Amino acid sequence: MDAQVRSVLRRVIRRIPNKNIENLLKKWNCLSTDQLCALDYTRPKWMIVELVASFCEDNSLNLKQITNLEMMYHIENPDQGVWHACQLTEAQDDAVCVDLTQFKEQFKAHLHGVVRHISIKMKKHEDEAIWIRIAWGDNFSKPNHLKPTYVVHHLHTSYVFISNLMAKHKIFLCQALVMATKHGSIKDGHLSTRSLTGMRELLLRRYQQVFPNAHSSILQERNTLPSHPCIGKEHSGHEDMRHQMSCEAFGHGPTPKLETAVYRLETRYRGNDNQTLSDREEFFRGVVRFSSSSLLDSLRHCVASGMAEGPVTPLLSAITQRGRNYFVITDKGPSVSSQASAQRA
Amino acid sequence: MALLTPFSKVPELNTATVLLVENEEELQSKLANALVQYKKDFNVNVRLARKLPLPVENKETRPRIDLIVFVVNLLSERSLQSVESSLAHLHSDCFLGKVCFLVTDARCGSHTQERLVSVRKLAASHQCPVLCAEHRTVDGVNAAAVRLLNILKVSAGMSPIATTALYLSSLTRCSVTSDLEED
Repeated sequence: MDAQVRSVLRRVIRRIPNKNIENLLKKWNCLSTDQLCALDYTRPKWMIVELVASFCEDNSLNLKQITNLEMMYHIENPDQGVWHACQLTEAQDDAVCVDLTQFKEQFKAHLHGVVRHISIKMKKHEDEAIWIRIAWGDNFSKPNHLKPTYVVHHLHTSYVFISNLMAKHKIFLCQALVMATKHGSIKDGHLSTRSLTGMRELLLRRYQQVFPNAHSSILQERNTLPSHPCIGKEHSGHEDMRHQMSCEAFGHGPTPKLETAVYRLETRYRGNDNQTLSDREEFFRGVVRFSSSSLLDSLRHCVASGMAEGPVTPLLSAITQRGRNYFVITDKGPSVSSQASAQRA
Repeated sequence: MALLTPFSKVPELNTATVLLVENEEELQSKLANALVQYKKDFNVNVRLARKLPLPVENKETRPRIDLIVFVVNLLSERSLQSVESSLAHLHSDCFLGKVCFLVTDARCGSHTQERLVSVRKLAASHQCPVLCAEHRTVDGVNAAAVRLLNILKVSAGMSPIATTALYLSSLTRCSVTSDLEED
């Protein structure tokens, strides 16, 4: 094992927290049972790293197996790092006929053709997701396995989820995706979050949505706490209506886990009080940022408890309706502009 | 404009009804549970509302209201504003002993002191009492419920000694002393 492989191995093992490492090593199946028994997981982390590194040296494992371990860890714990969503558009007629092997071949062929040194690994997970790990090199240097890019795509959907991609490699990846899936182009999805599961749930609509209908059946499903017969609520009708509105905008039950929503304002200042700021030709540029440990839950509570008034403003409901959390608002009107601006890194 | 009037309906036998008005809707449910569960010798109905005016559709089914309690959370500016706007929807007969203010969080922070002064001035101008309650513990909620029940008993006319609501309110109404007025 040369120095590069050793450093990659050390980094991979160091990054896996102790609670996952035992199961992962068992699943990995590259260490013998004696070696696995010899590992004592109560020891400090550096000792475990050293032990596993020496076992891997003894077994003369290669880079492929080590990157396999890293990929297995990421597939089981996808909610790390920052994920960005992209959307494939202009599907060609035979886009629905692309099958897994065809996608794999085309993707790898394209990338190997344009980048001289690159290492690509693809795995299909049981929930129909294709995980791709790419270590980028360039014309002179070998692939850098310490900073791989992860890409997740569900075949025949138009969404691609990308983590840890540098700007200079973006064009290669986008070209490869567009060609392999037989679409016309790819555009920025304006959605970024730490939780891949949350992002997938939001875009692939895997949360419990509520559609407006005349019967408002959700009101009967709601399990209200049984209250004393002597206690009566005056505004129960309003309360039910607010609950219905909030669920229509943000879903019922557990919501996808988003952390932030950012609105960039490129509008003119419209207050009356400030002489210096109003009546100017230039835009009053500002950024409004909502943060929460679970943003959709907080927004839903705001609407349901009456803190936010009236029908839910389309600026907020656009988060779920359009599946994005970065918006640019211009002066053309109250609707949300969907102009693609430079993607935040 | 439909005002809430105290004497427009016939009272029920051995029953008193209290209306709790609170913008945040947090303390009122705890208070309501404490009120109905406390051991007493008359029935108590509790109506919960966010603000006045009350919805018109409930007018027929609503019983006669004997006491209106405005719950003000001194940590929130909106709470006091909502109470001020609700006061306009009460008939002036209500202020003869049937309205009471309950404030919470009177000891937290500096903004609460200013708001407490404004609540007291408001209550004094309407001749109503102000109660301070501690709402974060069960004991505090129960204590507030007991005090409200005492006032409710009198304003519903159930006090065995011939105490009327008007007499009680003249004893308990909030007064603004001169040093408060100088602030």
